Amino acid sequence: MLEVKDIRFDYQAAVLKGISFTLQRGEVLAVLGPNGAGKSTLMKILIGLLAPSRGEVLLDGKNLKTLPRKLLARWLGYVAQETIVRFPLTAMEFVLQGRFAQGRLLGFETDDDLHEAKRAMEMTETYAFACRLVHELSGGERQRVTLARALASRPRLLVLDEPIANLDISHQVKLLELTRRLAHEEGLAAIVVTHELNLAAEFASRVLLLQAGEMLACGTPDEVMTEAHLCALFEAKLLVDQNPVSHAPRVTVVAPPQMTLENRNGK
Amino acid sequence: MRERLTQKRLLITLVVLSAVLLVVACVAIAIGSESVSVLAIVKILAAKLTGQVAAVSPEQQIIIAEVRLPRVLLAIIVGAALSVAGTAYQALLRNPLADPYILGVSTGAALGAIAATVFAERLPIGRPVAAFIGATLTIATVYFLGQTQRGASNERLILAGVITNSFLSSAVIFLLTVATGSHLRSVFSWLIGDFSGDVKLLPLIAGFIVVGMVIIFFQARSLNLLMIGEEPARALGVEVRRVQIIVYLSASLITGAAVAVSGVIGFVGLIIPHAVRLVGGSDNRLVVPASAFVGAIFLLFADTIARTVIAPSELHIGVITALIGAPVFVYLLRRVS
Repeated sequence: MLEVKDIRFDYQAAVLKGISFTLQRGEVLAVLGPNGAGKSTLMKILIGLLAPSRGEVLLDGKNLKTLPRKLLARWLGYVAQETIVRFPLTAMEFVLQGRFAQGRLLGFETDDDLHEAKRAMEMTETYAFACRLVHELSGGERQRVTLARALASRPRLLVLDEPIANLDISHQVKLLELTRRLAHEEGLAAIVVTHELNLAAEFASRVLLLQAGEMLACGTPDEVMTEAHLCALFEAKLLVDQNPVSHAPRVTVVAPPQMTLENRNGK
Repeated sequence: MRERLTQKRLLITLVVLSAVLLVVACVAIAIGSESVSVLAIVKILAAKLTGQVAAVSPEQQIIIAEVRLPRVLLAIIVGAALSVAGTAYQALLRNPLADPYILGVSTGAALGAIAATVFAERLPIGRPVAAFIGATLTIATVYFLGQTQRGASNERLILAGVITNSFLSSAVIFLLTVATGSHLRSVFSWLIGDFSGDVKLLPLIAGFIVVGMVIIFFQARSLNLLMIGEEPARALGVEVRRVQIIVYLSASLITGAAVAVSGVIGFVGLIIPHAVRLVGGSDNRLVVPASAFVGAIFLLFADTIARTVIAPSELHIGVITALIGAPVFVYLLRRVS
């Protein structure tokens, strides 16, 4: 479905090199890596905002470079880390923006647009506040509305760039659970960039580790989320064992002992 | 709760606003040192349209057809232009505080218009064209001064506008001081705005403004998405660069054309789109045309006050708009920050 073939991106120096992976419908891929590893650049390439210096990205066999912007917008749903709305806009108006690529110049929304927006809002459980203003919603509600906007064009691929960074744990779980369910039920492929290692292990079917613009590993969470990989990737002392309930990898931070006057003096 | 914008709601809104504009225009024509009946106004307008001679006194004929009507038309077209330009800048910069005056664009346009009058007085088209160039260069400067690595911040952009504005105002004063030989209006007229200048340019200016407004209106859907951010807009299918260039140029064109005939009138582009959004929501398919009508009505109202409140003297129109606009700006600044 999605094929990324040996892409490279240069910006003064190489930001990304040798990135290759494939993704099938129904799969959720988590992209993990430290700050500055090139995750956001990779996302921008995947949604066609940046063109790779080398290599190609194929979506259902079509090169992203050759797809017109509006067609690409229909095939891709994008959710950014945070959406700032400074103008009064209702949640429904916001979700209908997801139908932009389907409309014409001044075109008013058709019944089809309204139906799709409603459906997307029902899937994300946001239809109840369709008439509320977006800037008055809580962070979690706003991210779900943004997800609904991404779903309104019935995309084939969902790209979520740190969608849970500003959410509390309950909303984080809710959003990732929803993403996984949508991927499964709607036959979407989803890519999620996140710093939440344990949530990635729970909800992703595959994980890609990105280190200084290069692919460290790509595979199922069990295969790639090993202690050796994660300690090297984040340059931190981490303990990886198994979640006793889900059996997914579980990452625990091993903090160095706190320096006190006593242990500094060797007592 | 507010309903979503539909074709029907847009149409009804615009019909109501044009009716209000017509009534306000008739009242504005009727009010003045020589009061004229609405019936006489209708007769003269009908006569103008049919090419016949109206059955009113020649004095009334002159007052209405040659003094008040052109001035009312000027207020309408300038009010519409500044409001639509404000709407466009606010959407492009994602900043509800943006307006041609606060960003310094109007003063840049005034500088261009003055330069054209000083250096190419015989060329009537020179003034709006030079004002357009002045406006375009100013918005480009403010845009770049307002940028940080993380995009433009509200405060930085406004600060960039203030600095640019004060620099350009000084340049305007300098140019007007040294160019004593030309038939230029006073510094006051340029920097606070007035409608008492000559109206020969009106048809040309109106042409520029109508074309600019129509172009912006056709980009309204894209502007709706740009208000949320460039990146999501592009991901949703907007050709961001193309829309930005088209709308920046059109907004500069209509600001330049308006300033070339009226000088710098502040705050109209700030208050009007905000008021329209408050009542009708943020959909630019409504905000752009409704702002044009409401801006026209507002400036017509302000101008009628300006020319009657201390009659037989006249206030500069910018005094009235600033008295209303500055408190609104402070209110918005507090809300947005």
